[in-house]
Amino acid sequence: MDVRVADLTLDRGDRRVLDVDALDFPAGSVTAVFGPNGSGKTSLLRCVAGLERMRGNVTIGGQPVRRGDPRVALAFQESVFLHDTVRANLSLGLALRDIHRIEREGRIAQMAEECGLAAVLDRPAASLSAGEAQRANLARTLALAAPVTLLDEPLSGFDRIGRVRMLEEIPALLATHATTAIIVTHDREEAFRLADRLVLLVGGRVVAAGPAGPLYRSPPDADTARLLGYTVIRLGGRTIGFAPGTLRRGPGEPGFPVVVTREVDMGNHRHLIGRFGRGQGAVTIELRLDPDEPGAVPGEELLVHPTRWTEFGAGTGAS
Amino acid sequence: MARWMPAAVMAAAIGLAGCSDGARRELILATTTSVQDAGLLDSLLPPFERAQRVRVKVIAVGTGAALEMARRGDADVVIAHAPELERRYEEDGSLVGGRLVMRNDFVLVGPPEDSAGARSAGGLDAAMRAIAAAGRFVSRGDGSGTEARELALWRDAGVAPDSIAERVETGQGQGATLLVASERGAYTLTDRATFTVLGPRLGLAIVSAGDPRLVNEYRAHRVRSDDARAGARAQAFLEYLVSAEAQELIGRFGMSRHGRELFIPASSG
Amino acid sequence: MGELAAGLGEAFRLLLSGDAEVYAIAGRTLLISAAATALSLAIGCPAGLALARGRFRGRTLLLSFVHAGMGMPPVVVGLVLWLLITRSGPLGGLGLAYTPTAMIAAQFLIATPLVIGFTAASVQALPPLLPDLLATLGAGRLRSLWLLLREARLGMLAAVMAGFGAVVSEVGAAMTVGGNLRGSTRVLTTAIVTATGRGDLSQAAALGIILLALAFTVTFLLTRLQQRRTD
Repeated sequence: MDVRVADLTLDRGDRRVLDVDALDFPAGSVTAVFGPNGSGKTSLLRCVAGLERMRGNVTIGGQPVRRGDPRVALAFQESVFLHDTVRANLSLGLALRDIHRIEREGRIAQMAEECGLAAVLDRPAASLSAGEAQRANLARTLALAAPVTLLDEPLSGFDRIGRVRMLEEIPALLATHATTAIIVTHDREEAFRLADRLVLLVGGRVVAAGPAGPLYRSPPDADTARLLGYTVIRLGGRTIGFAPGTLRRGPGEPGFPVVVTREVDMGNHRHLIGRFGRGQGAVTIELRLDPDEPGAVPGEELLVHPTRWTEFGAGTGAS
Repeated sequence: MARWMPAAVMAAAIGLAGCSDGARRELILATTTSVQDAGLLDSLLPPFERAQRVRVKVIAVGTGAALEMARRGDADVVIAHAPELERRYEEDGSLVGGRLVMRNDFVLVGPPEDSAGARSAGGLDAAMRAIAAAGRFVSRGDGSGTEARELALWRDAGVAPDSIAERVETGQGQGATLLVASERGAYTLTDRATFTVLGPRLGLAIVSAGDPRLVNEYRAHRVRSDDARAGARAQAFLEYLVSAEAQELIGRFGMSRHGRELFIPASSG
Repeated sequence: MGELAAGLGEAFRLLLSGDAEVYAIAGRTLLISAAATALSLAIGCPAGLALARGRFRGRTLLLSFVHAGMGMPPVVVGLVLWLLITRSGPLGGLGLAYTPTAMIAAQFLIATPLVIGFTAASVQALPPLLPDLLATLGAGRLRSLWLLLREARLGMLAAVMAGFGAVVSEVGAAMTVGGNLRGSTRVLTTAIVTATGRGDLSQAAALGIILLALAFTVTFLLTRLQQRRTD
């Protein structure tokens, strides 16, 4: 089912935390909502779940969403459980949706397996570690296989191995049930691995929305570019942004000088960290070195240039 | 800390016990509630306390409980109004030196419309039987002198109290019992003093009075004590109660506020 | 000490001999107090929930009234109620004075602020996100309220214990509105007052021990319920 948001505003006291004209989430799409802290990501999710008293319209499959809407499942960032076992917590939402006991048990077993919870299913939820709780929280939501699934920072409780696995499992699960999903994350890799579309929020407003790849390759403005991980610098009268890993040593157009601050060994490669500009306006620059490429000593000045870049304000260009 | 606690408790207990013996100038008066409820003691006690430099502590309970306190030695003087009961305590030696202090009378009261027809029944026994047959009755049920008198009246009338369906016991004092009778439109037996004081606020009227068996005599007794000084104080109080000064106070009591005497001093005959 | 020991002996004797009046008084005490507690739960739980979760004008003021009510002297409650239901009072026509119904009403008034206060406090102690969680799990309004109360059950059972404990041990209001009528409104507390007034201290002590045993048994059962369902 598709989700449509129209003319949505949400105020907390005097502060307007959301102001969205129109935002569509096509049926079966997976969208990552991306933005700095306090940009309204969680509020947007709560509105779509029908939890907020907002002005405007949120519809699912053409029908307005309401509080307690069984078409929506939401995994909050904070893991909150009832005073009961993990199994009972996983079971409650399924039971409230009148899913038969046998199917309930099957889904719980499957989700417990996926999320590494099989060993703790019959323990009190209150006894889980922070990581286990986050995973149980996610499992509880995914087990519902709701037409619309909302996940708020779903992978914050996983260690690296679990995270790598879930980055594959979550899209697969969402695809199985043709779920329309909206995932709040502040991690760019997560956004791209989990979602096919991006929504960028700043200050409660949508600054960009669309398919993830094209949006990344040509961000519409400098703020969007920064959100996506671009380094944005002012060079003469121009504003130029370039993605991580696109910087090369040596003169070029547009090229600029960098003062090296230190060299970092990342294991499989090395980074030169440097500074462009002075004082308040100084920008930290990262330059990836190939294994056999010579390094530099702190204080040394290097000339660098991006291989691909975007110019903001006065149109865009690429080398 | 735990080890010296029992010792400290003992010491405190002994200290408290020490205070309550004859060393302190006080006198415990166990009295029937009607004397206290009517307010008589408020005017009767201060002259004695001033003259003797003694504090009189009043415990107002039913006559039964007052006499029981005397037997246990928890009181120095008892004022009661159940002559047969008092005689038993005099015979076993707990009470000595009984004096008649004052009298009034019991009255049988009930709803003003007198639904059971007790007023026109002709005599106390007939009135009791009429109430047993057709009315509700509220009993003190607290072992008081009034209850003792009520039970005697049922006996004289040939009615077994337990056989009366509409008889309830409050287990409370005279005032509370009158309130219950008033609320329930029931009959009850009361001393005249309490009824006079509370009467204006109640929906009750006298349906029978004047029978010799309704005479209500208040006697004061000294409790036998091994403590000579306490015994002397109690004796002084008895003598005060029958003195001309106290008897006049008793006779005057109630005239100013209720326009009539509530108790008749024993000295007046 | 003698009276207490005698009282203990008397209590056992009364219980073992199946003294009909003592059993009737104890049963009546349990019945009246349980009815009052049940009624106060029926009203107090939703009210406490509304006070805890509601966002309406005057909520804090109402909550303050409830908290003040939690410490209201029972005898004053009894007096006010008695003045209402006495023949000359505004509710005199109901004929409630000196009836078990009046006692239940008085005890209800005493217990309800306790139940509301405990319910509100225990619901407010729940994670603030819980109502939203229940909604996203698909619970409707009533279902959510029920699950919330179930989550707050530790505090709720404390509310039951506080309410029942307050009314079963209360004497002032029971005496005032019930009148301590033997066979109809005499309960353990008022029976103790009567026995004491009669000078029958062993009987008073025996009734006191029975009251303590009754209150403890109920509290024990509730505590067991409370602790069993908590992990």
